[in-house]
Amino acid sequence: MTAYLLRRALALVPVLVVVVTVTFLLIHLIPGDPVSVMLGPDATPAQIQATRQALGLDRPLHEQLLKFYGRILRGDLGQSYFLDRPVTQALLERAEPTLVLTCSALFVAIVIGVPSGIVAAAAPGSLWDRTLMLAALLGVCVPGFWLSLNFIYLFAVRLGWLPAAGYASILADPLAALRYMVLPAVSLGFSQSALIARISRSCMLEALAQDYVRTARAKGLPDATVTWVHAFRNALVPVVTVIGITTAILIGGAVVTEIVFNIPGLGRLIISAVLRRDYPVVQGVILLTATVYVLINLVVDILYVFIDPRIRYE
Amino acid sequence: MALRFLVRWSVALAAIVLIVSGVAVAQTPRRGGVLRVGNLGEPPALDAHWTTASITETLTNHIYEGLYSLDATNRPIPMLAESHSVSRDGLTYTFKLRQAVKFHNGKEMTAEDVVPSLARWGKQSIYGKALFAQVADWRAVDRYTVEMRLKEKSAIVLISLAVPNNFGAIYPREIVEKFPPEVKVTEYVGTGPFKLVEWKPDQYIRMVRFDDYKPRNEKPNGYGGGKTPWLDEIRWIPVPEVATRVAQVETGELEFADDLNLDAYDRLKRTPNVHTIISRPYYWLVAVFNKKDGLMTNAKLRQAWQAAIDIEPIMKNVAGGHAEFYRMDSSLTPVEIAAWHTKLAGLPWNEHNREKARRLLKEAGYKSEPVRFMTTQEYKWMYDFALLTKQQLEDAGFTIDLQVVDWATLVKRRNNPKEYDVFTTGMGAFYDPTHHIYLTATWPGWTTDEDILKLQAELARETDPKKRMVLWEQQTRQFYEKVPVIRYGDLFGLRAMRTSVKGFNERTERIRFYNVWLDK
Repeated sequence: MTAYLLRRALALVPVLVVVVTVTFLLIHLIPGDPVSVMLGPDATPAQIQATRQALGLDRPLHEQLLKFYGRILRGDLGQSYFLDRPVTQALLERAEPTLVLTCSALFVAIVIGVPSGIVAAAAPGSLWDRTLMLAALLGVCVPGFWLSLNFIYLFAVRLGWLPAAGYASILADPLAALRYMVLPAVSLGFSQSALIARISRSCMLEALAQDYVRTARAKGLPDATVTWVHAFRNALVPVVTVIGITTAILIGGAVVTEIVFNIPGLGRLIISAVLRRDYPVVQGVILLTATVYVLINLVVDILYVFIDPRIRYE
Repeated sequence: MALRFLVRWSVALAAIVLIVSGVAVAQTPRRGGVLRVGNLGEPPALDAHWTTASITETLTNHIYEGLYSLDATNRPIPMLAESHSVSRDGLTYTFKLRQAVKFHNGKEMTAEDVVPSLARWGKQSIYGKALFAQVADWRAVDRYTVEMRLKEKSAIVLISLAVPNNFGAIYPREIVEKFPPEVKVTEYVGTGPFKLVEWKPDQYIRMVRFDDYKPRNEKPNGYGGGKTPWLDEIRWIPVPEVATRVAQVETGELEFADDLNLDAYDRLKRTPNVHTIISRPYYWLVAVFNKKDGLMTNAKLRQAWQAAIDIEPIMKNVAGGHAEFYRMDSSLTPVEIAAWHTKLAGLPWNEHNREKARRLLKEAGYKSEPVRFMTTQEYKWMYDFALLTKQQLEDAGFTIDLQVVDWATLVKRRNNPKEYDVFTTGMGAFYDPTHHIYLTATWPGWTTDEDILKLQAELARETDPKKRMVLWEQQTRQFYEKVPVIRYGDLFGLRAMRTSVKGFNERTERIRFYNVWLDK
């Protein structure tokens, strides 16, 4: 197991190298440069050149790339052109909101998705089944952006129950943090719960069709025990995979939610960085996100071992 | 009978007294409160000398001040200067500074701070560079007097020192020495009514009242006059999604929301406790021609475009169908800048004459080559007027290749004459004829017409305002003949504020929160 983990950790490296290189090249090759944006549309070419030199942007591309690798190896992700601070600091400042949003949305997605799928599977073809799967379909089709704006209009503007947007740190003011997180987490989580619901339903149906379930019922075990104690655990492996994928999607989906609800997280950071051509920040966020994706995959693989004792890694 | 009469009159009197005192109480400013303002995004810098970005302009005008400011008619009035005098030959300006004006760090502002600040501004700011190109010598005479010696007579000294955008903010000498002009200042100390206390990017910028601020004695007048910081704190919150900005001013999470989409106007008008503001001027729409390279170097093609377009339906559409949000005007300076507004007749503006356009296209020898027209969706009004223009021009015989890019790309590409033929943009307020950047040879588009440049140079030198106006009218006629850019109409913007916000001056181009108080 340890050997397996070590091998997986080492495999991270080439993935990240490719990610970093591709990101660097892509963002430097798109037109538009940070200096023109920073100085304003009326800057003269001479001013632009002076500032580019000050920022090291006039050096050839391969030189900039090599410098970048060197800095990463020292744990230095560079300095943001816009924010006047190290990229690592910018990332750390934004990590908490995104983390809180992603976890809350994941929680909502699981709490809505898994039970829906299981209840639907327990009575296939019934009204419950059809209603829940219709809701799941809506969740897949409805754009998260639209849902978010409608939630704001209904719950904040018309009813006044919750704030329209904003963020409070969970460490500073947990109650306020909760109030601000409800609408974003629910709108983001609902969209993702659909996939989880459908997969849970399919997996449960398959599990419930197995011979051991018939045996359990024949033994006289109550339905609830059959469903939750025996069938559920066997259905879990694909569901966990989907949850892992969902977490990854949530990190990306969080971008739109963060912008609509004005949450100062990594999603908003990367959008404004791209629009302003703040290269170091874009590279930093992509590197961080890629690392998180790979680590999530690793965690999911490890979880399998605990869910299904038959799975073993060498 | 007499008693009833007496009672009735006493009641009436009491009612009148109550009403009047209630009104008086409501109009009396009170200290205190936090004003939360929602705006478009983060400023690239809070160094007024460094960038022309409008968000920087708005924020820096709360923490810094210049020697002059603009009054309600957009003419220069003294701010940090006490007075000025000009030598008989017009070449030497002597400015007396106000005394006992403190910086936020407690230091007194003196000539020692003014001279290096404006020298830095003269190297980096577009207005500073234009002024200092005419300056032979700039020095401190004594603690409260500075002197500017010019190479030749100049019409633009006071107005350049008064313009609020990319302005001559006075910094402490130590800060000027620490940050050369190309490097943006990252320590913020000024003389303004508010001081910066915290900047959390993408979360907020907090400014608090500067308790030692000494307002001028006059009443508030435009951007200038007496500026009283009633509020305890202004919190500037970047809310990039416009729908969210609108929602937050409706719920009261923001007291003020700027740069709103015109679609929200009807809804906001109906919302209780919210007051809508039509901001004038906002932008006048222009299509800028590449006159250095490519198809549009041909003047007849440019004239054909000018003749073909029917501006009113375009403006109406861009304004979302609301007549309140646009104005048809051929003057190159909007009505609000009273000194330079022109009312000339017979200009070939908005002729919407397709026959004339077709004739000009033929004379130009146009063979339906695609015209590369660059625009962006980041400013919806730019995209809208580009689309409508394309339609109208194609009906007149043009072939338009509309290229939609993001703002950063557009700003970069328009510096390269090989990459486009026309691009869309909006012009803000220019407070002096010499500030109209599209009439210069260095700004994208490259207006190099000798007659236009000659008149601009004369405008910089002629100091008599009446003669300047004659020159400016001449320049306007010339503009419509040579067509360096296409002038559409004036577009207005939408702002919204809670009714608890009092004392806000709705007539300035950009927002200011000194003299504003919260009635809660």
